[in-house]
Amino acid sequence: MHPALVIAGKDLRQRLRDRSALVLGFVAPLLIAGLMALAFSKVTTYHATVGYLDLDHGPAAAGLERTLHSPDLAGVLAVHDYRDRAAADAAIGHHTVQAVIVVPAGFTAAVTGGGAPRPVQVRADVDNALAGQVATAVSQSFVAQVNADRLAVRTALAAGAPPADLARLTASAVEQRLPETPVQQSAADHKLKVISYVAPAMGIFFVMFAVGYTSRGYFVEQAHGTLDRIQAAPVGRTVAVVGKSLATFVYSGASLATMVLGSTLLFGADWGNPAAVALLCLGISVSVVCLTALTIALARTERQAEGLAAVVVFALVLAGGNFVFVSQEPPLLRRLALFTPNGWALRGFTDLGTGARGIGVVGAPLLGIAVFSLVVVALTALVVRSRRQP
Amino acid sequence: MTAALAVAGATVRRMLRDRTALFFAFLLPVAVIVIIGATVTGFGQFRVGVVQTGGGPLARELVTELHGSSALRVHDYTDEAQARASLRRSELDAVVLVPPGLDSALRGGRNVSVPILVEGNGTAGPAAAAAVSTTVAEQGARIQAARFALSEQGGGFDQRLALARSQQAGAAPITVQQVVVGGGSQFLPAGFSYSTPTMLVLFVFLNALAGGASIVSTRGLGVYARVMATPAGARAVVLGETLAYLALALLQSLVIVLVGAVAFGVHWGDPVAAFALVAVWALVGTGAGVLSGTLFRTPEQASAIGPAVGITLGMLGGCMWPLAIVPAWLRTVGHATPQSWAVDAWTELLSRHGDLLSIARQLAVLAAVAVGLLALATVRLRRRVNG
Repeated sequence: MHPALVIAGKDLRQRLRDRSALVLGFVAPLLIAGLMALAFSKVTTYHATVGYLDLDHGPAAAGLERTLHSPDLAGVLAVHDYRDRAAADAAIGHHTVQAVIVVPAGFTAAVTGGGAPRPVQVRADVDNALAGQVATAVSQSFVAQVNADRLAVRTALAAGAPPADLARLTASAVEQRLPETPVQQSAADHKLKVISYVAPAMGIFFVMFAVGYTSRGYFVEQAHGTLDRIQAAPVGRTVAVVGKSLATFVYSGASLATMVLGSTLLFGADWGNPAAVALLCLGISVSVVCLTALTIALARTERQAEGLAAVVVFALVLAGGNFVFVSQEPPLLRRLALFTPNGWALRGFTDLGTGARGIGVVGAPLLGIAVFSLVVVALTALVVRSRRQP
Repeated sequence: MTAALAVAGATVRRMLRDRTALFFAFLLPVAVIVIIGATVTGFGQFRVGVVQTGGGPLARELVTELHGSSALRVHDYTDEAQARASLRRSELDAVVLVPPGLDSALRGGRNVSVPILVEGNGTAGPAAAAAVSTTVAEQGARIQAARFALSEQGGGFDQRLALARSQQAGAAPITVQQVVVGGGSQFLPAGFSYSTPTMLVLFVFLNALAGGASIVSTRGLGVYARVMATPAGARAVVLGETLAYLALALLQSLVIVLVGAVAFGVHWGDPVAAFALVAVWALVGTGAGVLSGTLFRTPEQASAIGPAVGITLGMLGGCMWPLAIVPAWLRTVGHATPQSWAVDAWTELLSRHGDLLSIARQLAVLAAVAVGLLALATVRLRRRVNG
């Protein structure tokens, strides 16, 4: 058997005996990913319950009520009617509704007679900002048509229509419709499930911890003289590093594979094309190996190796978006994520999990990971070469 | 007491010389605060992509007005496929496809549809579409008015459009006014006032837990054996380690509080109550840290399993997301962690302007946890030291 394989086998058996390596590689990522998916399980679909209070009782107010009950909003809003403000506010306080739309007395008069405009009021629960936004946006959409009709009348009068024609103009204007019609369309792709993001995010996060484990182990063995005995054999130091890298690669691959299977079976994660997923897992494993080599090259002691690995890993996972939904980050942070191998991998997993077709989807992520890995390799080579100057 | 202080001093000096420990205690929490704070900022606006290819003055005017809407955060795209990809990744709430023929249709007296793409079962998409509709309607209103005036009084379209624009600018429209009802919030404020107190809670506990590794190392170095030879004995070791952990926890808390206040504008609320909460939480962390130092057999176990446990408890306890959004049973489980009581207390101080009395219950629970952890840690550490 090739000496590198012997070393790899020894390393892997050592990990199997180490409970903390098993916890970090297999148990913790699945546990934490599941916990995150459970936590957000009721956030992924949204349905607001909104109250409606009509203090005007005129035809203009009836128009708003019809808008609230339209088919376009059926999937988003449930509407409850209230008779007075006290009942409406009590409903908000009891969380029966999250917001109430109040049409003020005199609304119809303001619309038809040119009276002073009275604002439609949206009263929202302090902890339901989104419901308030929904109710506000819907109300504004309705009010926009009303304002358009009022503007039409004013413009006609300004153009020279006689004021005596106000009633006729008003009646004509109400028949007008906005010429630009926003049409809501559903994008065909799959919605990203929470578990389909957090499973790869946590899997990658914990796999990157392998960098510290392996690089620390290198120096422990150096201190114990194991490496001296290996180097005394016909094989060289290079073979030892190759063997350790191979062990890290296998460990990373096994850990990620466990996450793929576990999250699918236990939590219903959508990973998409299996071949593409496998390629991304391989890519991450390669970058972990490269980071391990760099850490070993830079450090001089076990403690340094562990510390350096920890700093590098946490910097990468913070920048790459493993701890938050990168899609919710500001654009600057999203761009920062694409300087990391884990950021690219998450981009690939997100695309696969939302129904992007074909293995070509992971082309850019794999390229991003490859570029990062090559940079790390080049850096490692530079460090090694500079250390050789006696 | 001299022996105890010697033990405490040795531990603190070793930790402060350890650059990795300094990274995890001070730099990492601040970095996480920045990223989470930035991520949970700006939920007051919908993120909208606008795809415009070519188009005339009316199309450009529409895009300009979308940018000007206070309800929207608009990003321009020239490629529809890219905008769709951003929508699919949940980087946008909606995508507006400005029709290429918008100008010719509107000037030619025809109506035009403006597609607004949303995720079918998305959270904010339909609301974002409604907000976009408002802005589209404002342009539509001017077109409608211009056509109406044209049909009533004749003249040119551009002339009537200019008149409509000036009338719109001069008129008082009917508005929609949003009012917040009710008392204090169940949540911490959005942005850095969320991430800073929650990361204080998370990292003080987490660093103490991981720091248990140093107790395991110290046992191995034989430091305790030498202290045991003194008359003070086991009590000095226990007290010394406890003081060291408490000092480090308080120092870390102080750094996070100061950075939060100075760099991120966090108002920590009533100073007396805030100090009490910081101090009690430091005691909880201390108890957890010393206890972890007695539970693990190797430093690697402590520094590996500690963070996993700390992160899990932090998630359950509301450090990563508000417990108010999780299913009720998970919220109940969460309140079995000390983290949730600390986060509840910070919510009381930052969102409901609470004082010492209003967080008395949380402080009592946390103090009980601290006493329990410290007592258990003391018993186990004595056994470890004597053994």
